[in-house]
Amino acid sequence: MNMSRVDPFTCTFCGCLCDDLALTIDGGTIVEARNACDLVRPRLVGLSTARGNEVGDDEPALARAAALLRAARAPVIVGLGKSSNETVGKAVALADRIGAVVQVGGPASGPRITAFQRGGLVSATLGEVKNRADVVVFWATDPVVTHPRHWERYSVEPVGRFTPEGRAGRTVVVIDRERTATAEKADVFLQVDPQNELELLWVLRGLARGIPMKESRIEHATGCGVSDLKNVVELLKLARYGAWFGGPFAGRGPVAQAEARHQAVAGLVRDLNSPTSRFVAIGMGEAGNAHGAEAVLAWQTGLTPSVDLGAGVPEALPGATSGVERLARGEADCVLVVGDVTLDDWPDAARARLTSTPWIFVGPPESPLAASATVALAAATAGLDEDGTVTRVDGVSLPIRAVRDRGLPTEGDRLVALLSRIEASL
Amino acid sequence: MSTLRIAGGRIIDPANGVNDEVGDLWIKDGRVAAAPTDPGARADRTIDARGYVVMPGGVDVHSHIAGSKVNAARIMRPEERRSEDQVMRRWGAFRSGTIGSVPSSFATGYQYAGLGYTTAVDAAIPPLGARHAHAEFGDTPLVDKAMLVLMGNNHAILDAVRAGDPARIEQAVAWLLDAAKGFGVKAVNPGGVEQWLQGKDRISGWDDRVDHFDVTPREIVTALARAVDALGLPHPLHFHGLNLGIPGNWVQTLEGMKALDGSRAHLAHIQFHSYGGTPDQAGDFDSQVAPLAEYVDSHPNLTVDVGQVLFGETTSMTADGPVGHFLANLLGRKWYSLNVEQEDGCGVVPITYSDRNYVHALQWAIGLEWFLRVGDPWRIALSTDHPNGATFRSYPDVIALLMDSGLRAEALAKLPERVRARSGLADLSREYTLAEIAIVTRAAPARILGLSHKGHLGPGADADVTIYAPDDDKRRMFALPRWVVKAGEVVVDDGELRSAPGGRTLYTGLDVDPEARAELEGRLAREASFHPANFGLKVDDLADPLEVGPKEREAVQE
Repeated sequence: MNMSRVDPFTCTFCGCLCDDLALTIDGGTIVEARNACDLVRPRLVGLSTARGNEVGDDEPALARAAALLRAARAPVIVGLGKSSNETVGKAVALADRIGAVVQVGGPASGPRITAFQRGGLVSATLGEVKNRADVVVFWATDPVVTHPRHWERYSVEPVGRFTPEGRAGRTVVVIDRERTATAEKADVFLQVDPQNELELLWVLRGLARGIPMKESRIEHATGCGVSDLKNVVELLKLARYGAWFGGPFAGRGPVAQAEARHQAVAGLVRDLNSPTSRFVAIGMGEAGNAHGAEAVLAWQTGLTPSVDLGAGVPEALPGATSGVERLARGEADCVLVVGDVTLDDWPDAARARLTSTPWIFVGPPESPLAASATVALAAATAGLDEDGTVTRVDGVSLPIRAVRDRGLPTEGDRLVALLSRIEASL
Repeated sequence: MSTLRIAGGRIIDPANGVNDEVGDLWIKDGRVAAAPTDPGARADRTIDARGYVVMPGGVDVHSHIAGSKVNAARIMRPEERRSEDQVMRRWGAFRSGTIGSVPSSFATGYQYAGLGYTTAVDAAIPPLGARHAHAEFGDTPLVDKAMLVLMGNNHAILDAVRAGDPARIEQAVAWLLDAAKGFGVKAVNPGGVEQWLQGKDRISGWDDRVDHFDVTPREIVTALARAVDALGLPHPLHFHGLNLGIPGNWVQTLEGMKALDGSRAHLAHIQFHSYGGTPDQAGDFDSQVAPLAEYVDSHPNLTVDVGQVLFGETTSMTADGPVGHFLANLLGRKWYSLNVEQEDGCGVVPITYSDRNYVHALQWAIGLEWFLRVGDPWRIALSTDHPNGATFRSYPDVIALLMDSGLRAEALAKLPERVRARSGLADLSREYTLAEIAIVTRAAPARILGLSHKGHLGPGADADVTIYAPDDDKRRMFALPRWVVKAGEVVVDDGELRSAPGGRTLYTGLDVDPEARAELEGRLAREASFHPANFGLKVDDLADPLEVGPKEREAVQE
């Protein structure tokens, strides 16, 4: 029997990036995925790992893609939300060479980073929460559904050095628009209309600071009872070590307010660090490797998550240098999409422009993008077919290990091939 | 590989007793070679260095150039990398970049080499941050890189210290160093960061006890220093002391020096630890360099780097989480803090050192006092604790101040009056010679690091060479070397960067006892948020790795 194991395997399906899965492969198929959650198990068990042979002669496609990029005056590189850190480094090198705008991560990256640039952030690696946290807040996020093992592995149930009682030693607060699955398991639930999230955050901060505020106005602005809010704030202030978890947009309210919400969370959490309390804010984590991609772009250029290299120097201004928005405004004449991005996240105008702009797709051949791109270059999927590194929401970099071999080049191979063809013709 | 001859330069090579002697330097296969016996021998390339000053490449013993806190500082501060003089343009095969107080990775390599520096040590990488930091090293060309691994608040270390078993401490040190593929051992505010993470009273004395672990800073530091020596590591324990930046801290600094009697130790950014006065009373803040410098001079087990402050905008970054917290509250500016499991905190806060601010002005004077009061230049290394006191790009400014007492007097005259009464700087007329500059910027840091192939120009040394045009304006002289040679390759030619080889990653190879490894990894499996198998790096994960340290030295001796 040709049984083999990949142990440990790092799962990139959700933002947890659990790195303790153990896959058993039997006869070219994954037959067991120990430690996998119910969300990912069906995607792994039954997956064929047999070597494929899916790439034919793609020299003409490569040559055509290189020619498109070389001829472009305003190229844009987007995607890279699920690529390995190594691939992102190669994409930034290509962008630097051809003077492209390069945008990494997803739509949540921009507001989160702009907020960080305004106020900073007090944060921690997830093991700190596991070992120290006695108060855990889930802000407008439902990890029991979206990040199934977060609760057991990082935030609520684990037993750690200063948390010997595990779940029993932690107070869990959920603040959300409705009684979610996570709220059902919490100790305290506070309901908030998504439209009032920003107001609520500022009120919580005001209460934490002891700023006098009119009770009627508090209730009007937040839709919450003042005594409920005061109880929550007392709980936060009494934490020995508190952890605040929020989703990609720091709430479910208007996306336009995401940056403001991130800033409000950061300010509240900063204030909750008193001489006797530590308090940290950590994102739930986005699926794939948005955080690693942001980091690589930042160390290579000093800026992130969207950088314009067109003038020969790295430049970044929120919005103005966004690759997707450049495309939407008709300011891109060639687009390189790396990885299987969700076009639904893009503005309508950007999607519409793709039909009239030459674009190149580097990614899995079964993606619908492969069929609609001007040129498609099949590439392996990081986390399944490719070794490398990804970075968790808390900055911890982890190895990823290939579990199958489809006989495809990696995304990084494709980018290097494009760069060398372009350089050869300069 | 080709040969290079640097002909007729004024060679300054203090490690080999060569002080401003005109001669030739031969380079072959990336190393300094003995001059050929054949007087007619010709090299593949000859640099006519007549009239120029020839020194080993610069070595930075303490800098922050890679890893998550450095990168967070880049991300957090786009505002300081927008102007025309803070960007590097893409040209030829060189990458574009941005500068600010924390340059992007490629720009870091270009900027160091542009100053004639060819080796830089990142002084504070948490073991869990090593994978990220090594990835950045791979994108930092031209300089050889190494990292010091944080252990002063590490739970495995604190547990071993409490157990009081030296062998167990050594194994924990070896395990962490091997996992991170680090070069040396760093302790930052030992026990104090852990205590802060627990939300408990600040650790401010050597015998204060860290809760839960029931150990003291004295026990942690002495145990680590002994373990480093027992393991035969090239570089002694690299130590960031108690109460950084707090008036009156010189008392604990001196006590720490005494506690380390019998072990080697390097005291980092000593400027920040040399303050008289009382906490929370800026009024009686003064310099206490004199007694500390005297102690260092008379105790050969100790070395220091300075952490010079220069006026202007920069970014403070430290693994001393409580210091970051303190600065954030003091300055009211944006604050990044990351608590890293098993080890420590880190804090990043922008800071502007103003020459109108009495405290900042005194910090400036205290740093210079250190350089001028330590009699033996082999015991002191030039640093700004980049980017904490100032960016490494300002090293030429520091050099100029050391070589010119007139320049210092001029600068001092512009500072608040009280600075002259509260520091001894005005009375120090010493001026550094070129040879002394070569010592504090290359020869001494290489020796302090235990890098026998760096910091000198004897046969067998790495062919890292910097050639300067003599100039009365010392700042200009050291800011713009005419040629820089890295591992035998001319990377700066006629003042311009010409190529950017990757530079090597130096790490210490150590054997870890399999039983100790199993026990320590078992503990990680229980306490960490990641799989223990993903903790350690392999040599293959490093960019152009080069093993140095006990095993390598044994091999050379055989």
